[in-house]
Amino acid sequence: MTLLRRYLQALWSARKSLVYVFLLCFALLIYMPFLMIVLKSFGKGWFGRLWLPPELTMHWYKFATEVTNIPEITKNTLVIATLAVTMATLIAIPTGWAFGRRRIPGKELWMSMILLPRMIPPIAYGLGVAQIFYRLHLIDTHFGVALAHLAICAPYAILVLSATFEGLDERVLEASSVCGASPWRTFLHVIVPLILPGILSSMLFTFTTSYNEFTLTLMTYGKDTVTLPVRTYIALGEGYWEVTSAMSIMLVIPSLLVLFLIQRQVAPEKLLGGFKGV
Amino acid sequence: MKHGSRLRSGLVTLLLMLPGLAGFFGLFFYPMMVALVRSLRPEGQRVGWTLEHYVRFLSQPRAQGVIVLTFVLSISATVCSILLSVPLTLVLRQKLRGHRFFRLTMLVPRVVPGLIGALGLLLLFGSRGWVNLTLLQFVPFIHEPVRMNYTIPGLILFYTWLYFPFTAVTTLSTLESLDPALEEAAAVSGANRWQVLRHVVIPLIMPGILAGSVLTFMAAFGAFSIPLIAGGNYRPLSVEIYRQINFTPARWSAASARAMIMAGLQVGYLTIYMRVLRRPST
Repeated sequence: MTLLRRYLQALWSARKSLVYVFLLCFALLIYMPFLMIVLKSFGKGWFGRLWLPPELTMHWYKFATEVTNIPEITKNTLVIATLAVTMATLIAIPTGWAFGRRRIPGKELWMSMILLPRMIPPIAYGLGVAQIFYRLHLIDTHFGVALAHLAICAPYAILVLSATFEGLDERVLEASSVCGASPWRTFLHVIVPLILPGILSSMLFTFTTSYNEFTLTLMTYGKDTVTLPVRTYIALGEGYWEVTSAMSIMLVIPSLLVLFLIQRQVAPEKLLGGFKGV
Repeated sequence: MKHGSRLRSGLVTLLLMLPGLAGFFGLFFYPMMVALVRSLRPEGQRVGWTLEHYVRFLSQPRAQGVIVLTFVLSISATVCSILLSVPLTLVLRQKLRGHRFFRLTMLVPRVVPGLIGALGLLLLFGSRGWVNLTLLQFVPFIHEPVRMNYTIPGLILFYTWLYFPFTAVTTLSTLESLDPALEEAAAVSGANRWQVLRHVVIPLIMPGILAGSVLTFMAAFGAFSIPLIAGGNYRPLSVEIYRQINFTPARWSAASARAMIMAGLQVGYLTIYMRVLRRPST
């Protein structure tokens, strides 16, 4: 009897470690590519069947900053992302308020319409956007590229903000006015603090979306609006994998940082699985 | 009076929605229409109507290959991400030590650019990458590096890597909103763990799995950066579209025709998918 119990116990603990093996394999699969990029970007003379690069060097980073104007490209990327975030937030605040707090006949239908740009492949409407922008001379301007990004960023922001506004408790607002606060005071001291986290998380997510956006940038960029993802793609085409790796590392760090920073505050998984009943 | 105030409130609602609707029509609907009209024009002209681009593309034997490839890649990636997500979320649900870390890990492929993921995966699975080194070192029958990059299985793996978070996240959130009383009831009624899983948990989270898999499918169908740099000779529709505008002179009409076909196929497939699989309970 005790033998059987010990056997079962062993099986139980083994099962638990099997679960960890599974999780470990999963984490390896996710993080390993980045590790390879890091090694590649610091490695020198890493040829043949070697596990690790024989020599470490900063050469590729230096080279990457020499052949490409990294500050310029970073500036482009940041300017475009900032413009896109600003426009997306300005659009999403009123529209999100309407979706979250007002009665709209056929709300579901309107919402799925707003979210349609996330369903159709970006390259399909990117084509149309590019043709329109050529006509309006918006190609190769920061504003134009940001406007193209808006097609993807705005639905995100509207989705997140409408959920935030919907979560505002009517009773809290009533309590505030019962206690004698003017509408303006209610807005400033009750509504704003309540919705600020939602707005911030929507801004962060639209920022990373725009920062990482590749397809729509590729359709609308020019020589003055090369962004980091596009530059990485060009570098890949040039075939210097070490240099591309060095650029990728510079590109990827801010995104990962944002993910690790906001994970406590906003439950980022909510934003990915965002829309139900597609 | 009441009628008037209702009208006014409706107007205010409309005004509030206006920015979003303007964005939708200006940046999505109008571009789609422009592409549609462009696809019906002869190449490089602003007048005249023709179906030539659709006919020419669809009559190529290669076109069928392209469409089939697009579907094969996106459907296989969807199936693979379901196969990965369900065990993963069942494990993560138990709140083991360090589950926060693995939850975060799940989101990583979605916050980095697809390009970089593809680059890392190409390095990892290349003939000199760690996967092949491990296989050569520890698996007795393998003496040649296994070719993964620029093959269809490799592409499916890359797609799954990049797009499974949609399925996993949606499944996890469904799983966590599940009422534990149902499982307890099943267990009390004498079902073993496997039966509980098979007959209670899985059917209950099915809507979540399906909704997530739709998201994965949509993303995989429109995937662009991965096949562009890791596809080699395999070009799904998105890359095919991009190739058309990379010719000099750019073939905008041909590209637009392909884009319309792509959008049409996606909407058609999703409609069928939702009809067939949507359960009354959702």
